[in-house]
Amino acid sequence: MSLGERLLVGRLKQRDEAAFNEMVRLYGDKVFNLVYRMIGNRAEAEDVAQEVFVTVFKSIDTFRSEAKLSTWLLRIASNHCKNRIKYLARRTTSPGGLDGEPEEAMADRGRALVQGHIDRPDALLEAAELEELMQNAVAALDEEHRLLIVLRDVEELSYQEITDITGLAEGTVKSRLHRARMALKDLLARNTR
Amino acid sequence: MLVLSFTRAMDHKQAADLFSDYLDGEIAPGSKADLETHLSACIQCRTELESFRRAVGSLGRLKRNAPPAFLTGIQKQIHARSRGRFFARRWMLFGRIPFEWVSLTMIVAMLLYYVIVLQGAPTTVNPAP
Repeated sequence: MSLGERLLVGRLKQRDEAAFNEMVRLYGDKVFNLVYRMIGNRAEAEDVAQEVFVTVFKSIDTFRSEAKLSTWLLRIASNHCKNRIKYLARRTTSPGGLDGEPEEAMADRGRALVQGHIDRPDALLEAAELEELMQNAVAALDEEHRLLIVLRDVEELSYQEITDITGLAEGTVKSRLHRARMALKDLLARNTR
Repeated sequence: MLVLSFTRAMDHKQAADLFSDYLDGEIAPGSKADLETHLSACIQCRTELESFRRAVGSLGRLKRNAPPAFLTGIQKQIHARSRGRFFARRWMLFGRIPFEWVSLTMIVAMLLYYVIVLQGAPTTVNPAP
């Protein structure tokens, strides 16, 4: 853990509100994106991601400094995702969930995806369609494969960070990730046919 | 003939099993050479690898920022759940001292008062008339 992170954790343990805001600014997008890609529904993802930070503040005193703060946050986020997915499954809500997304959110999806790269409407639409295609394929993976795909290929974390988050051995992460990637490739091939 | 013997040495499944390590740059040099030899002779695996690379490569674009009101939402939740006391400095406000501690202090104070003032006071015995 870096010195800056150590200081931030110290301030968090002192219940410093500015430190809390800084933590959300630093890791909010990462946590939200992980949760959104796991759950697939924007409103649910926002709720779960907020809950992650509330949990962090409730249990910051239990955080041990040998782990990275971001890794700890993402571990909490992945546990919250698992619980919410189970809860949503009991409510028989569609696991993909993008169909329930508000139109406004659908519209900004393409913008978020291609910020600074594309300004033509047709290209924007194409980018939004590509994202939807990718998201649907990710959502169709089983939960464990989805988590590994999101951590490694979306969030671009190292294998060491992934083993810290999931508690799996590196070899297990690699073999499961490979199976997840192959399944994703096959899903995309089927959906684009 | 030499190429054919190499392609036989590694089948499609064995080649596909190495795709992730190959893409991550974590493949052993010997396996990399075997895979590349197989790929040079096998159009099916080359196509598979290209689809695999495209699928994995596109995932990096699935980035979505948290909504603008995200931080405000969390702050509201924490303030509501802690009744506004969560971020207060410890011991600065009376309200942050747990009720049990206040009760214990009161009990100890009363005991001390009893022992020191009431028990310690000289007892006066009225002389018999």
